[in-house]
Amino acid sequence: MNLLLIVFLPLLGALIPLCLYGKSRRIVSLATAVPALVAFTLLLVMATQTLAGAVPQVLVPWLPELGLNLAFRLDGLSLLFSGLILGIGLLIILYAHYYLSSKDDANRFFACLLLFMASMLGIALADNLILLWVFWELTSVSSFLLIGYWFHQSDARRGARMALATTGAGGLALLAGILLIGHIVGSYELDAVFAAAEQIKNHNLYLAALILVLLGAFTKSAQFPFQFWLPHAMAAPTPVSAYLHSATMVKAGIFLMARLHPALGGTEPWFYIVTLTGLATMLFGAYFAIIKTDLKGLLAFSTISHLGLITMLLGLGTSGAVIAAMFHILNHATFKAGLFMIAGIIDHETGTRDIRRLGGLRKLMPFTYVLSLITAASMAGVPLFNGFLSKEMWFTETVDQHLFGGLSWLVPVLATLGAMLSVAYSVRFVHGVFIDRPTRELPKVPHEPPFLMRAPVLIFSILCIAVGLMPMLLVGDLLTPAVASVLGSEVPVKIALWHGFNLPLLMSLLALVGGAVIYLGRQEIFNFNRQFDQHDAKEVFETTVQKISEACSYVMAKLETGSLQRYMALLFAVVLIFLIPELTAIQSLTGSRPQLPIDTVSMVGAIILILASLGTAVLHRQRLTALMMLSVVGLVVSLSFAHFSAPDLAMTQLVVEVVSIILMILALFFMPQRIPRASSGRRVARDILLAGFIGGVVGTLNYALITRPLESISHFFLSNSVSGGGGTNVVNVILVDFRGFDTLGEITVLAIAAAGIHKLLNNLRPSMPSSDVDGRPWHSIKHPMMLTTVAQMMLPLALMVSAYIFLRGHNLPGGGFIAGLVTAAAMILQYVSNGVDWVKARFDHNYQSIAALGVMIAMFTGIGSWFFGKNFLTSWFTHVDWPIVGEFEIATAILFDLGVYLTVIGATLMILANFGQMTTRHRPTQKGH
Amino acid sequence: MWQQHLVIAPILIPLFAALLQLLPWGENPQRYRRLIGIVACILTISAAVTLLLQVHQYGMQVYAVGSWQAPFGIVLAVDRLATVMVLLSALLSLPILAYACYGEDNLGSHFHALFQFQLLGINGAFMTGDLFNLFVFFEVLLIASYALLMHGGGKLKLRACLHYVLLNLAGSALFLIALGVLYGTTGTLNMADMAGKIAALTGDEAALARAGGMLLLVVFGLKAALLPLYFWLPQAYTMTTGTVAALFAIMTKVGVYSILRVFTLIFGETAGAASLLGYQWLWWLGLATLLIGAIGVLGSRDMRMVISYLVVISVGTMLTTLSIANERAVSAVMYYLIHSTFVTAALFLLIDVMAMQRGKTASRIVSGRKLAQHSLVAVMFFAAAITIIGMPPLSGFVGKLHILEAARVGDQANWLWPVVLGSTLVIMVALARAGSKMFWHTLEGKAGDTRSANGQLVAVMVLLSAAVLLTVFAQPVTAFTDAIANDLYQPQRYIYQVLGGSTL
Amino acid sequence: METLFAITVGMLTACSVFLILRGRSFPIVVGITMLSYAVNLFLFSTGRLVLEGAPIIGNEKPITDPLPQALVLTAIVIGFAMTAYAVILAVRARGEIGSDEVNDLDHSDAEGQR
Repeated sequence: MNLLLIVFLPLLGALIPLCLYGKSRRIVSLATAVPALVAFTLLLVMATQTLAGAVPQVLVPWLPELGLNLAFRLDGLSLLFSGLILGIGLLIILYAHYYLSSKDDANRFFACLLLFMASMLGIALADNLILLWVFWELTSVSSFLLIGYWFHQSDARRGARMALATTGAGGLALLAGILLIGHIVGSYELDAVFAAAEQIKNHNLYLAALILVLLGAFTKSAQFPFQFWLPHAMAAPTPVSAYLHSATMVKAGIFLMARLHPALGGTEPWFYIVTLTGLATMLFGAYFAIIKTDLKGLLAFSTISHLGLITMLLGLGTSGAVIAAMFHILNHATFKAGLFMIAGIIDHETGTRDIRRLGGLRKLMPFTYVLSLITAASMAGVPLFNGFLSKEMWFTETVDQHLFGGLSWLVPVLATLGAMLSVAYSVRFVHGVFIDRPTRELPKVPHEPPFLMRAPVLIFSILCIAVGLMPMLLVGDLLTPAVASVLGSEVPVKIALWHGFNLPLLMSLLALVGGAVIYLGRQEIFNFNRQFDQHDAKEVFETTVQKISEACSYVMAKLETGSLQRYMALLFAVVLIFLIPELTAIQSLTGSRPQLPIDTVSMVGAIILILASLGTAVLHRQRLTALMMLSVVGLVVSLSFAHFSAPDLAMTQLVVEVVSIILMILALFFMPQRIPRASSGRRVARDILLAGFIGGVVGTLNYALITRPLESISHFFLSNSVSGGGGTNVVNVILVDFRGFDTLGEITVLAIAAAGIHKLLNNLRPSMPSSDVDGRPWHSIKHPMMLTTVAQMMLPLALMVSAYIFLRGHNLPGGGFIAGLVTAAAMILQYVSNGVDWVKARFDHNYQSIAALGVMIAMFTGIGSWFFGKNFLTSWFTHVDWPIVGEFEIATAILFDLGVYLTVIGATLMILANFGQMTTRHRPTQKGH
Repeated sequence: MWQQHLVIAPILIPLFAALLQLLPWGENPQRYRRLIGIVACILTISAAVTLLLQVHQYGMQVYAVGSWQAPFGIVLAVDRLATVMVLLSALLSLPILAYACYGEDNLGSHFHALFQFQLLGINGAFMTGDLFNLFVFFEVLLIASYALLMHGGGKLKLRACLHYVLLNLAGSALFLIALGVLYGTTGTLNMADMAGKIAALTGDEAALARAGGMLLLVVFGLKAALLPLYFWLPQAYTMTTGTVAALFAIMTKVGVYSILRVFTLIFGETAGAASLLGYQWLWWLGLATLLIGAIGVLGSRDMRMVISYLVVISVGTMLTTLSIANERAVSAVMYYLIHSTFVTAALFLLIDVMAMQRGKTASRIVSGRKLAQHSLVAVMFFAAAITIIGMPPLSGFVGKLHILEAARVGDQANWLWPVVLGSTLVIMVALARAGSKMFWHTLEGKAGDTRSANGQLVAVMVLLSAAVLLTVFAQPVTAFTDAIANDLYQPQRYIYQVLGGSTL
Repeated sequence: METLFAITVGMLTACSVFLILRGRSFPIVVGITMLSYAVNLFLFSTGRLVLEGAPIIGNEKPITDPLPQALVLTAIVIGFAMTAYAVILAVRARGEIGSDEVNDLDHSDAEGQR
């Protein structure tokens, strides 16, 4: 339970600073320290168990299906790290309180800091690999925010993004690795994973998993060749650099390797990959640390170098090596955090971090000078300081290893070289800043910082010496369980100050001397280095991303030409690709159903149809002609419906035909009159080919279908139409009863279309030609006499007809829809013949409301059946005997059909009338939306 | 007496609301229309919730419209999947509508009615158990979307809308052909009945049915924006207004839903000669869609574009995973679908807020002036970004984990993992870049003074809160999606319920 | 007869697809309309072809499959609504963009604006 608190206190604590905006800096800092402090005490309490050899664990199920649980453990390794995280974290908070200037937004800073602390603790304490990954990514996110803290500086922004991209990529690789491990083991719980160590190492996916996991670790710990992001992360405020980029986050990768060492370590690939990477990183970092003139840059590269050292030790994986690794993690954290803070103090006091400008601060800041002497000495590995001990243990290991058989001597040599370099840059840090004469005037006159700002550094320095003098007493008990949990077995930890005169001691001395020499001859190195072009990783990263994104937009531009023709062609192409395989699978296209003989009528009809459609296609640039052809097609189609015994369809098709042709002719008026030949011969050929294939496929499907017998559900409709639907015209009964729901949807579509079109026409200024193609002005007489009179006679007639069609619809071809269209057509005729004003004067209704009303009637007819305990749209009908009319049927279906009728009128007129009015002063405008 | 009709409520409520909103309403109609809309959304939500509970408790609900039993009449077949989708669209609609009520609904006429019509179509498509009825509802939601897409007018919108409309008109024609083929071979329109009939088909008849199925796949693929058919999407989503784009976050999901439904029920494992039709295509095209989406994200210079391509990516992810064809995968798809719908909608609204506050730099990814509500919007953007990228601690990573674990290690994972993780990295880089440009790299001088209404920000927060809830309650949600997957892989249960089984 | 019917439908489809693949809104709309004719014929024919019949009970004519006819009826209406919308949209596009070209050749620099 306490374990959960240790992680979640800082996590929730991250909200506290955000709630304290406007409060004084002191309060904010204290409020931030509280959760960390509590967590620290909790940790100390728990620590006793761990030091006693127990491993406290806690598991709260979160998402068991994914093997993801809130599982935490506190073994030696976790203790070591969480101790570092919380202990140093507290000192950092203290330091930051003084470091941040009054202009900086401390609340945001501390919030991110606590968030980071929590996620770091999560990594250290996680007992479940997925959970570990979750916190792993959280550190990437929070460090992104911390590096980018001073986001007005472009360095900070770029550094943050580069760090995020690199560590983020690593995190994704790590995830894949973890998933592989989970796949092999069948669980993500650490104990299970450790138990299955052999199984993992013998699995054929082992290498993949190992590499993926190591990618994660190396990117995080800035191992070669992924070290480039770390120096640029130094754009962060110094407390952040001290905390994330020396003591904790960059050690997460190390932690991961240590954590998974029992499961993945000890194999050939592990040995070579990890050790060599470590070695390379160690040398690389050390070399560049010397070159750097920026204090923090120097420290950054030295960090890289020391991380490489630890990685190398983990790679070697012997018990001695692991002890050395754990010990050096501790030591490095102490002296490097201290050094970073000193760098920060100098920056804070002098206003610069450039060694070339600094110097001679010894007199101005004696106290800081002493502190830097101690910490730097520890970094250089001077005897009696803690750095010396772990470094010598490292030397011992390098001597004992047998990496390259005959060439194994190379390793200790290179190690010594690395040590020399690290001595050199340590000397440079102290000498360059404090002893050398100042080369130029400093921005500020420096003086000692407030005591409490130095206090953390003081503590670190004391630790450096104390641990250096009595290591076993101070850290022995801490290291023992840590080493145990890395090796998976107890080993006695012995750290002696004095091993007698032996090779490692010699190497240390060589390192010290050589380091001094290198420092004296540093100018040579600078000159040597100057001949290489100094490319800035940040620039490289930026330009690469830039290039990639440009390439991407180029690809997209090529792909998405915005040409509808291409998209359409693709659509049809996909149809072909998907369908042709299925069609080729058909054995015999012709089915068993007896076919009808071809009669002349059909023959003629077919020929006309084909010719007309071809005509439409060919003459599509003479638009009026094309339209005429189209109407011919429509006409013949409706005739063929009639011919193949579908009277309702025939009628419907006919009226729809009329209305839509009117619509199109109207549209034609607004369309450009001369059309240049648009498409090239090649495109036309392609289109003909495509069209031909589609036509072929559709025709084939059609033929295959209609030559086969069909056993359909229609028998039900035929047998229930009269008894259940109360109508003999089955089609109409289906429409208003069996499948009335479809019809409801259908009229809804009409209503929506009407509304949408009204929306489109609002405040539209269409381009209106004042004359026809050949420049003749339009005829002066708008409403010819003949037409007017005929039309006016037509109206009542049409209304009667539509009423008749409507009423008979249930039993004979007809129905609300057709009736509605007939009425609408008649009304439109009035508009055409008499003009808008005339109609408005006589019949000024809101078509929109009519349409809405129609749908409502239909809907409420449906809801009505609820009152009879029936489902929506359940029909009811009875036959009544009326005096004159004779027997007559009343059915809810009629009511429903009335709804259809009204909707059709409303919608159609709303569309056509509004559209027709475009040419008049009654242009629709957006009133009341 | 009324409770049995609850099933059809999610269709009738928006319908009635829309019709009411079409009426004149006198001098200042917008006030009433807003009220009606909000009330309707709330009612729909409550209906959907009760329905969900019912279905979860008593199992699937079948509602025979007109009391004509399946397969003869049209039935609403509401199982867990349907209810979840309906609830999703309902929950989505309320904040979006609320957001729109701060003035965006005045940019053109009939916004509210069309909004409700849109919901009507979507809900109908989710609930119907009849293939032709599905077509009808598709048309309803399409025509509504055509009109909504034009909301606010403007040249650029016109082109995008024209492409969208014409492509979908062709799509509808294909849908009808597919229906013809399927009716012509099975003689039925009810999905459950058809499933049974198709399974029994052999030889040429089966081949014909398969052809029909593939045609359906094309149509649904067009709606879902599968690779060679997605071209309508980026422009349309980029050019239209924020709220419409946010609402359209559910539109592609309708396509995904239809594929999920039809290709597990009718062309699923149990479909005999037509089993697992088109799954290979889905797998490869899905992966390709993912890649194209990633390229688009990196290549876009405008935030709306980026989000549009994120939609494409999500579609690719879902369809690829879906084609893995096991319960685990379907469950993963469902979780991811819910998550991505909410976040995408939130992002579209958020970008709208940013564009408005940034003034003339709008949503272009360039450094502009400071926002009036800078830090608040920045925090929201950060949260949304984390979620959509799929980084801990918000719902995105849970969805990604689901999907990654659904892939079979050895073959499928070799393709799926690199592509999914790669796209994740791409999104991370792109959004980090965009975010730092728009929020960190702001120009000197004072911030803009156009503030967004608190209501609008709240609306976005509500949508974002879904990401938090989905993470905290990941377990129950997953349990439910597992149940959905289980339903879909027991088609005979569905068939029994619809045909022989109990009907309310 | 079936062969003839199928050929006709195929022909109709082919021509309309060709029109739909044009670069200007008007022919496309015409094509869509014609395609809907073809599709209606197709859908209708899935009830199989019957001469001199009617889906009406009580008269001695042979009964035909009424369901596809009902479907086609719905399809016709919806098709009408859709075509109408497309037509008006085309007109508006012509009005605002100035041409009836459907290919958008300058969208790349149009990003970002509404």
